Amino acid sequence: MNSRNASRWIGLIYVLPALIFVCAFVLYPFGQLVYTSLTSQSLLGGGAFVGLANYQRAFNDAAFWTALGFTARYTLFITPILMGLGLLLAFLVLPNRKIQKFARGVIFLPVVIGLGTSSFLWYWLFDEQVGLFNKVLVNLHVIVHPIVWFTSADLALWAVIISVTWKVVGFGMILFVAGMQSISSEVVEASLIDGTSYLQRTTRIFLPLILRTILLVTLISAIGSMLAFEQLYIMTAGGPRGKTLTTVYWIYQNSFINFKLGYGAALSVILTGIILCGTAVQLVLTNRRAHQ
Amino acid sequence: MKHVELQNITKRYGQFQAVTDLSLVIEKGEFCALLGPSGCGKSTLLRMIAGLEEVTEGKVVISGADVTDVPPAKRRIAMVFQSYALYPHMTVGQNIGFSLSVAHASKAEIEKRTAEVATMLQLDKLLDRRPAQLSGGQRQRVAIGRALVREPEVFLFDEPLSNLDALLRVQMRLELAKLHKELKSTMIYVTHDQVEAMTLATKIVVLDNGRISQVGTPLELYHSPANKFVASFIGSPAMNFFNSKIINVSAKSMDIQLGSTRQIKLNCSGTDLKNGDDIEIGIRPEHITIAESSKRVDISGAISIVEQLGNSTVLYVDSEIGQVIVECGGDTNLEIGSAIGLNFDIKKVHAFSTGGQVLPRHSV
Ligand SMILES: Nc1ncnc2c1ncn2[C@@H]1O[C@H](COP(=O)(O)OP(=O)(O)OP(=O)(O)O)[C@@H](O)[C@H]1O
Ligand SMILES: [Mg+2]
Repeated sequence: MNSRNASRWIGLIYVLPALIFVCAFVLYPFGQLVYTSLTSQSLLGGGAFVGLANYQRAFNDAAFWTALGFTARYTLFITPILMGLGLLLAFLVLPNRKIQKFARGVIFLPVVIGLGTSSFLWYWLFDEQVGLFNKVLVNLHVIVHPIVWFTSADLALWAVIISVTWKVVGFGMILFVAGMQSISSEVVEASLIDGTSYLQRTTRIFLPLILRTILLVTLISAIGSMLAFEQLYIMTAGGPRGKTLTTVYWIYQNSFINFKLGYGAALSVILTGIILCGTAVQLVLTNRRAHQ
Repeated sequence: MKHVELQNITKRYGQFQAVTDLSLVIEKGEFCALLGPSGCGKSTLLRMIAGLEEVTEGKVVISGADVTDVPPAKRRIAMVFQSYALYPHMTVGQNIGFSLSVAHASKAEIEKRTAEVATMLQLDKLLDRRPAQLSGGQRQRVAIGRALVREPEVFLFDEPLSNLDALLRVQMRLELAKLHKELKSTMIYVTHDQVEAMTLATKIVVLDNGRISQVGTPLELYHSPANKFVASFIGSPAMNFFNSKIINVSAKSMDIQLGSTRQIKLNCSGTDLKNGDDIEIGIRPEHITIAESSKRVDISGAISIVEQLGNSTVLYVDSEIGQVIVECGGDTNLEIGSAIGLNFDIKKVHAFSTGGQVLPRHSV
């Protein structure tokens, strides 16, 4: 065995743990998922091979497409909010003074709370009888009467968006702050000497130099939103009248409420495909823009 | 004509005082080097002139106007950073033209001025490259180009050549000298390399611990250092220092002891000196010669190291007064270990008080 071959084997040994992990916990379950999606497997038994029948059914399942539409709408609303607010907060807490460091910690805190927990928290905050959120709005004279958030699909959507934004905006903010702090201070000083205003520095130095981070956070936020489940399960339970049913919620209902595992698996595979396509498009954009 | 003026500048970082009550005048068109060891406050001083660092006490005046509280962009200065600080996401052309574009100059104007500067610095073929695709010397030139395009009254350089290899450094040094000759603008240049300061500057400010140690032309600093710090900092190889005792002091001269046997007469003196006082003398390696005969020898010793540099030879000689560094002709051929006699050029010997201040010289 020559040394080149030997080093190849050694390299394989180094990546082996990761490889085993990925195989055991990603590839194997995904293979199973795909297989299940081709059967009539149910929690009550069954499991005959049915070919693409589940996929065919998904195509004709209006509820699935409605759920996908709602999920896409949710993603399209919340992602820009998370990005914009995250960036704004990042600029506000960027200087390394005490107050800004403290603010960074406070804004980041909800990120380490479980999504389920925070959804329950906000469910009660939005309550029309005892909810603090309504009370604050009334006291500030923003509204006259407490709002009943969860009887209208639109209001419910915004309630969820508000709660999730509170929960995750700190994550993007921290990544943006880290990105901006990694910009050489001499580059920023050079732009000061070149006469940039704060706005010019923001748009022509900071934003282009953290473009990669921005695209990364967009990707993470968008994927997370496409997979939204707990927040809606807890806060709206898909209501009113199934109008806030997300894709994952629909998959969950089919698999575990209606016991149709095979069909749920097929829906999961379709969702995975959609997210992969979206991710691929974004990655191409990332590489094109950031490499220029 | 006074151009940049620092009036009683003090800079504190919390408790730490980086610059202490420093006053300095830089004339229009001067090439002024701020020279000193690492941490002496050179960059801090330059950054205060640029407006990047707040001044704790004192005033910065440029062209007669107090600019202490004026933002960097309004001071008519340009700065070249040690790390070049090019904008990584812009092309060479965009880097050079950035300040114009920020000031909303027309596209044609930006292109014209960028092209002019690029031609001047031989960057015209690289305008579409990004900083990551340039060599160190090219990046350096882009940084200078970015400064040039603003047509500043004062150029500030913070160790601009320290990231370059030796050969390129000499080349860029020449280009900077040429640039200064062409533009005739005021340049302030931070360096810890005395050769750079000596070759480029018309005026050198030696800094020590946030204070000015001495201001003068390169040759003034070389021939008449004001204190031991400057004497040891300027010149390569560095000046020799020896401890000695005063035998006999008069108003204009004194005899001092050199080794156990020899006494020499120096034409310098100090008012509060008396016979028997400790004194330190210094002499540059190039002002010591190898004795031709054994008759008149100032100090003798044995060679411990020989460094042959081609154009000169540096000898390290162990003697009873300590190690003596001698610089002699390039064709000197001496063996390690051989005994040798040395003569000092007495007129070139400096004497320092115990506080490190030089004793005034008198023409006898
Ligand atoms: N932001 C800061 N906070 C505290 N101390 C500082 C700060 N910047 C500089 N100093 C201190 O001030 C002193 C002078 O620093 P400065 O950067 O001016 O040194 P310098 O002469 O440029 O050295 P070098 O040749 O290494 O660049 C140093 O002792 C440094 O530790
Ligand atoms: Mg420095």
